[in-house]
Amino acid sequence: MAKRKLAVVMAAALLAAGCGPRAEAPKTDAAPEAPRVALVLKTLNSPFFIDMEKGAQEAARRLGVNLTVQAAEREVDVDKQMQIIENLIQTGIKVLLVTPSGSKEIAPAIAKANKAGIRVVVVDTRVDAGAAKDAGITIDSYIGSDNYEGGKMAGSYLVQATGGKASVGVLEGIPGHETGDQRLRGFKDAVKDAKGIKIVASQTANWERDQGFTVFQNMLEAHPEIDAVFSANDMMALGAVEAIAAKGKTGKIKVVGYDAVEDAKKAIADGTIVGSVAQFPSEMGRVAVETADKLLKGQAVPAEQLVRIDLVTREKPAGTAAGGKQ
Amino acid sequence: MLNSATARRARELGTLVGLVLLVGLLSVLTPHFLSVSNLLNVMEQTSINAVIALGMTFVILSGGIDLSVGSLLALSGVVLAWALQGGWPVPAAILAGLGVGGASGLVNGLLITKGRLPAFIATLGMMSIARGAALVFTSGRPISGFGAGFRQLSTARILGVPGPIVITIAVYALGHFLLTRTRFGRYVYAIGGNEEATRLSGISAGFHKTMVYVLSGVASGLAAALLTARLNSAQPIAGINYELDAIAATVIGGTSLSGGVGTLHGTLIGALIMGVLRNGLNLLGTSSFFQQIVIGVVIITAVLVDSMLKPSAK
Repeated sequence: MAKRKLAVVMAAALLAAGCGPRAEAPKTDAAPEAPRVALVLKTLNSPFFIDMEKGAQEAARRLGVNLTVQAAEREVDVDKQMQIIENLIQTGIKVLLVTPSGSKEIAPAIAKANKAGIRVVVVDTRVDAGAAKDAGITIDSYIGSDNYEGGKMAGSYLVQATGGKASVGVLEGIPGHETGDQRLRGFKDAVKDAKGIKIVASQTANWERDQGFTVFQNMLEAHPEIDAVFSANDMMALGAVEAIAAKGKTGKIKVVGYDAVEDAKKAIADGTIVGSVAQFPSEMGRVAVETADKLLKGQAVPAEQLVRIDLVTREKPAGTAAGGKQ
Repeated sequence: MLNSATARRARELGTLVGLVLLVGLLSVLTPHFLSVSNLLNVMEQTSINAVIALGMTFVILSGGIDLSVGSLLALSGVVLAWALQGGWPVPAAILAGLGVGGASGLVNGLLITKGRLPAFIATLGMMSIARGAALVFTSGRPISGFGAGFRQLSTARILGVPGPIVITIAVYALGHFLLTRTRFGRYVYAIGGNEEATRLSGISAGFHKTMVYVLSGVASGLAAALLTARLNSAQPIAGINYELDAIAATVIGGTSLSGGVGTLHGTLIGALIMGVLRNGLNLLGTSSFFQQIVIGVVIITAVLVDSMLKPSAK
């Protein structure tokens, strides 16, 4: 009987193994022991990070960089991300490109990479300055877009689109998450001088579409006067759009989102969202790999590399600004 | 037909053989797997799940289930972090975390024994309550940045072995003693085997059952301390789905979900199998999507073998 058990476990192990070499194969045939670069994303089930991976893979092919891409199952799973980084350190990578799942929680993992002599480039989400100082870590470069400026861009557009008079409901990202906090800060700074703009409610919907729906539905019950929305990402904005439709208020409430994902661009064309701040994740991925290439060659890299942002509206549709542009 | 003792031994051996095979296979597939630093790395990564699974094993042995462990980890973690930032001495802060876990476990236990709620329902409710409490307590924000003294829990090396591994081994030794050498342990098996008979033989089943949930809560509190030290941060959204990892480690280790059958060392091996699989798949560059499939297959395989080994199941 024990033999039977043995056989099944072995089968499972073989299955496990079967998945590995296939993913590995294309990378090993050219230069088997080339210095390796790892890109650790927050997750691979969001269009934003899939675009980033695409940009990185293209640059890697062009430059002949030996790149491996990994991600945790869930975007907020900080410990899983740390485990992935620890495991990658074991494989002897030379450069770590990482989009931190937690601005503070990433610091101990980066400290471990530093200790192993691995160069670190942070992409998209910044590492909290205090946590970085506390852990005494070195980051070679930061690549991302300026979320504060993006928030301001969204705020200014909301002022313009509402003629400077609106009761605004805000959908925030996960509290303590640097990206969302910066967008919110930028937005508030942009609207604070417009006397007619009042933020009447502000709550988190944890970046998610379904929560955006319910949270905004409740917000609208409590504050029926709301006639404008700023959402720290498009997924929540799209949820709010559904809630607005359910209430029969489509067209009466101006929604401004962030990220300009595909669905949001469609909503902008339909007029259910008035504008969204576009980021360029594939460009972030490209710049990240180019930076890794420079580090491998011993060249200097800038401490900060900001990737452009752009406002997408009905009058000024995505066009060249498409995030997933090939 | 095999008698049940032989079957159990075969099952235990099978789990161990599974782990050894997996280690052997990964050693061949990737040169990075079999090194002292990577093996310590895997064990350190496994420690948090292993500690939670220890509590879970007691609960499942007693015929129950505890779905609240991931949320209790978050709640204990933020209370511990709050105490540390309030300038409490490190041991007192850790005790506060363990206390919150234990107290929540006590509520679970009382709801199940006095309130006669199914364990599934009581701990499902607690899962939501504790998660909400952690979020309310922190306004949803992580609490971060602790002194080096507390972080020793994660950074200390004892004869080159990382602290979390030493702690895990110590609590498993303690748990094993509790389970096999004390009356409490015997009663846990007895309650899981046949609660009615245990009660009729004059044993206070309710008390021992309640204590099992307290133990599980305390284990979550300890896991919270390890995780908080490791990340230098306590998140109110930490530990989501950790109950499922702990249940998986327990059943892969051969503990029967219907109670009364299983061992702690089995659970430890189960947790290691999961940790080694994840580590190995990372080293091989396999995507997280595949990893989920593989882990699912291993869970089902382990339980399938259990049911095949059972002498003529009804």
